[in-house]
Amino acid sequence: MSLVRVLVVDDSALMRKLIPQILQTDSSIEVVGTAMDGNFGLKKIAELKPQVVTLDLEMPGMGGIDMLKEIMRRHRLPVIVVSSHSTQGASVTLQALSLGAFDFVAKPTDVSARMPQIAEELIGKIKAAAQSRGVRVRPIGEAPRTSQKASLDTKRTPTKVIAIGVSTGGPQALQYVFSQLPVDFPGTILVVQHMPEGFTEMFARRLDEICAIRVKEAQSGDVLLAGRALICPGSRHLKVKRLPLGDVAVLSDEPRVNGHRPSADVLFKSLAEEFGPKGVGVLMTGMGEDGALGLGVVKGAGGMTIAQNEESCVVYGMPKAAIDRGFALRVVGLDVLANTLLAQCAPDRRSTSAGESGESSKGAGAGRD
Amino acid sequence: MTQFSDERGAEMRELFFETAQELLQSLNEEALKLEKRPADAELVRSIRRIVHTLKGDAAACGFRELSNAAHELEDALALEAASSHGSLAEVAFAAADTFGSMLAAYRRKGKLPSAAPLGKMIREISREPKTKTGTKAGMKTGSTKVSKKAAAVAAGPVAWTEYEKLAIQNASSGGKNVYQVTASIDRQCVMPIAARQLVLNALKTSAEILGARPEAGSAESTKRLDLLLASEKSAEQLAAKCRIPSVISEVSVELIRAAAPKTRKTVVAEPAEDKATVQPGHANAAESGEEHGGATKAAHAPALAENILRVDAERIDNVLNLVGELIIGRSMLQQAFTEFARHVPKEALRGRFTDAMAFQSRVLSDLQRSVMKIRMVPVEQLFRRFPRMVRDVAKQCGKDVDLVMSGQDTDLDKSLLDVIAEPLTHLVRNAVSHGIESAEERVRAGKPARGTIRLTSYHHGNQVIVEISDDGRGIDAQVVKSKAVEKGLIAAEEAERLSESDILALVFTPGFSTAEEITEVSGRGVGLDVVQTVLHRLKGSVDIETRVGHSTTFRLKLPLTLAIIKALLFRVEQRLYAVPLNAVAEIARARESDVHQVHNYEVLQLRDRVLPLVRLGRAPGAGTAASAKIFVLVISMGDRKLGLIVGSLDGEEELVIKALDDQTVATDLVSGASILGDGRVVLIVNLPAIVERHSKHRPQQAEGVVSGILLSHADRKNLTEGPAEVRP
Repeated sequence: MSLVRVLVVDDSALMRKLIPQILQTDSSIEVVGTAMDGNFGLKKIAELKPQVVTLDLEMPGMGGIDMLKEIMRRHRLPVIVVSSHSTQGASVTLQALSLGAFDFVAKPTDVSARMPQIAEELIGKIKAAAQSRGVRVRPIGEAPRTSQKASLDTKRTPTKVIAIGVSTGGPQALQYVFSQLPVDFPGTILVVQHMPEGFTEMFARRLDEICAIRVKEAQSGDVLLAGRALICPGSRHLKVKRLPLGDVAVLSDEPRVNGHRPSADVLFKSLAEEFGPKGVGVLMTGMGEDGALGLGVVKGAGGMTIAQNEESCVVYGMPKAAIDRGFALRVVGLDVLANTLLAQCAPDRRSTSAGESGESSKGAGAGRD
Repeated sequence: MTQFSDERGAEMRELFFETAQELLQSLNEEALKLEKRPADAELVRSIRRIVHTLKGDAAACGFRELSNAAHELEDALALEAASSHGSLAEVAFAAADTFGSMLAAYRRKGKLPSAAPLGKMIREISREPKTKTGTKAGMKTGSTKVSKKAAAVAAGPVAWTEYEKLAIQNASSGGKNVYQVTASIDRQCVMPIAARQLVLNALKTSAEILGARPEAGSAESTKRLDLLLASEKSAEQLAAKCRIPSVISEVSVELIRAAAPKTRKTVVAEPAEDKATVQPGHANAAESGEEHGGATKAAHAPALAENILRVDAERIDNVLNLVGELIIGRSMLQQAFTEFARHVPKEALRGRFTDAMAFQSRVLSDLQRSVMKIRMVPVEQLFRRFPRMVRDVAKQCGKDVDLVMSGQDTDLDKSLLDVIAEPLTHLVRNAVSHGIESAEERVRAGKPARGTIRLTSYHHGNQVIVEISDDGRGIDAQVVKSKAVEKGLIAAEEAERLSESDILALVFTPGFSTAEEITEVSGRGVGLDVVQTVLHRLKGSVDIETRVGHSTTFRLKLPLTLAIIKALLFRVEQRLYAVPLNAVAEIARARESDVHQVHNYEVLQLRDRVLPLVRLGRAPGAGTAASAKIFVLVISMGDRKLGLIVGSLDGEEELVIKALDDQTVATDLVSGASILGDGRVVLIVNLPAIVERHSKHRPQQAEGVVSGILLSHADRKNLTEGPAEVRP
């Protein structure tokens, strides 16, 4: 296999040295160059023809967002954003994702001590990016919904509890699906998105701004409400619990599962235990196998299990792991996922119906262009 | 996955220290600009970006404290209140200083300075809102989180979960009052964690516990206990239950929801609160707009062009050393060839040899120049620190001073740059604190109230000149003279003979002035001897030009590089010496009879000038004919001229200087050695030291004229036993 050619764009001289050093620990990656701002970066792309670009968003001169737009317009290269852990950082990072960045990693911290994890994450994402066939999800227009949302009806019990596990490619995919769900969506949604601490709050806020349903970062004790999605905060696990006054989300700090916290397996298992057939497990695009076994538990408890199809996945890792094990009852394309969820949650229906006609292998990748 | 080796880690930290220093420098520069143009959004952004990079880099190296401090500042800079705050520049300066001392502490693994004062400043500017300025709306996204965070830290009212709020609603509609209890745990309490359980037990019978903080199982030690109770009892009754002596010191019970269903229908619509501060949708749009704006202007760090390599100076020195050896090799080859040509004058190959050697020689010169260029850095690297320093010193002295810099792109050998940093800093500081007068004094003298200090650098021949001039009060030579006489540095009658420039040069004499006398004398002198010592060590010089009441200029002259010089070779007592060619103003031929003695100094009448002489060798013996020919090298050092009496001249040569350690040559009169193509060793004479020795030495009658200066006993001994033996 030929080497994965990577261009590192960062205004910090330290990072321009450090990131290549991290990447060089993997023999199948070659850092072909570095650039200190967007202008240089674009020149180097033309000159060096990298396959993957790592991009810092905060740079003088041409900043990361502008460069990203150019890359998306002219080169269509997968871009991995190297993002800083700050309020601004999170918000810009999410903007980058919706502009079509492949994925992001948090800026490496405490490298001497944490090198193995940092390297594993970054290298894994770069390889996944190199293998992805270009940018799959059409960048979604930023037009925000201005209409006032109806305040939530706390009395309405959700018809179904939907748990979603998703990783690489997730931010775009979730945005795509959630933006199609109506304000009176009858189910409640819980999301485990592999994302570092500090980004999930902003991510939830963004989704909330562009979607009709309510979206918030989960806190322990949040009630599972119809028409609302809770996003698990980075670095915690999300579980569900039935209580006398209502069902709630519970966060915990148990150790990583499959190397992940949050882990989709944890959420799925808890969903199966507490809700059994009322649970719907959805496993979407992402690297690795997190959630595959948990999806099996949901299925075993009588719940519905759905996996995103290969064509619409940015990385077909997690859904594949579940499908290969026979844990996915349905395999659907991203473009019909919203309808599938609606159909699943329809109060007067038990299972399959017209809404899911687009399911299975039919899907030409959603939003692919 | 591979481990990050210690070596790599050390290398990374080294790089960090270096880049961080540059970032701090940029931070200082941007802060200076901000001071002039407060609330310039572009500058604020630039500062934020610098701090941002510093934060990320520090975090990567595991320097958490620095990273956190930078993070705090970065977040604050995203706030409108802070970014438009009038004293933001002050905070940026303080930040640069604090970060700088943290860096220093990390570097020497010392105790970290506290970032708390900086944190306080940051919080202060974050808090005080100032009236509207040009800050962009894009900054707003940041504000919500920071303020929320701050609220959480301040241990404000407990945030009950949605489920607990549901329980409140439920209890109240069930006919119960809902109370919030805040209990302080007694400091004497032996087990604060158990306090929670004790209180809960006490309340169990009279209230339903809807929520409690800290939560069950939390190991968090706390001084405070928050409970959410539903009860039919009154607040007083509940408070009484809670008061467990020596466990709970204080209790407050607040009715937050009476049994009558009051309001709060949207208990769970809590996300709406989150949103109140964020304009839905707009934040991101504005953000991208901000990015656009920033994209067109390159702001921070004088853009290091891409493709810059950071190379250890040592590696370049190695290359340079090898180039030096090659140059010696070239001389060897040339000499061998000359001999060869003498032996076989008819050999046909000679022409080809000559061509090949000329070609090699040309390439070698190019190579040498290229390597030298690598070592050259613009003096800007040094000048950059001064704006901030001048500002600080001026502020301390309550003066108004402008710093005007020019010639920042003048190149200078990196090692020189490092060494002159301190003397130059000293001179600039002096210029501000002593050179420039107070505003009132200036106005009285008819000068603009604001003083000006000029820092200039340029190439002059084979030298780099750095000038520091101020338009201050100048130095009065008369005052210097009387001071020097009074201090016993110079005899009164001798002082009368000195030229003005000689008198001014006295300020470089050690012990000329001390701190107490600064104000009495015209204000210079502290540590100026150090300045001169350093310059001499570098084979450079420093001189003063001053006009009383108008200006003072210190002029530092430095060799372009320390490593290779064009030199004039000569012999003294059959031994080979060299002086830098650029110091030689002319070569005069004379006879012993032309040398006159004045006050025990030997002098030579050279055209219309009397040239003081230094005899490097022994004085001529009685038998020496007055008609014996001598050579006089006219040396110009600053504005002083001196003649060196030497035996014979031996040509010009490009010399690669090899440093000599103190064991080899125990004199400061020789600054280095070099090896010639034929293996002979040549000693390089340290001219500034000779000039200094000459001017300090006051010959007594008995001693006779100054001579044999190069051949003192110690020198002689070392010269015969030392490097002369060295053969390549």
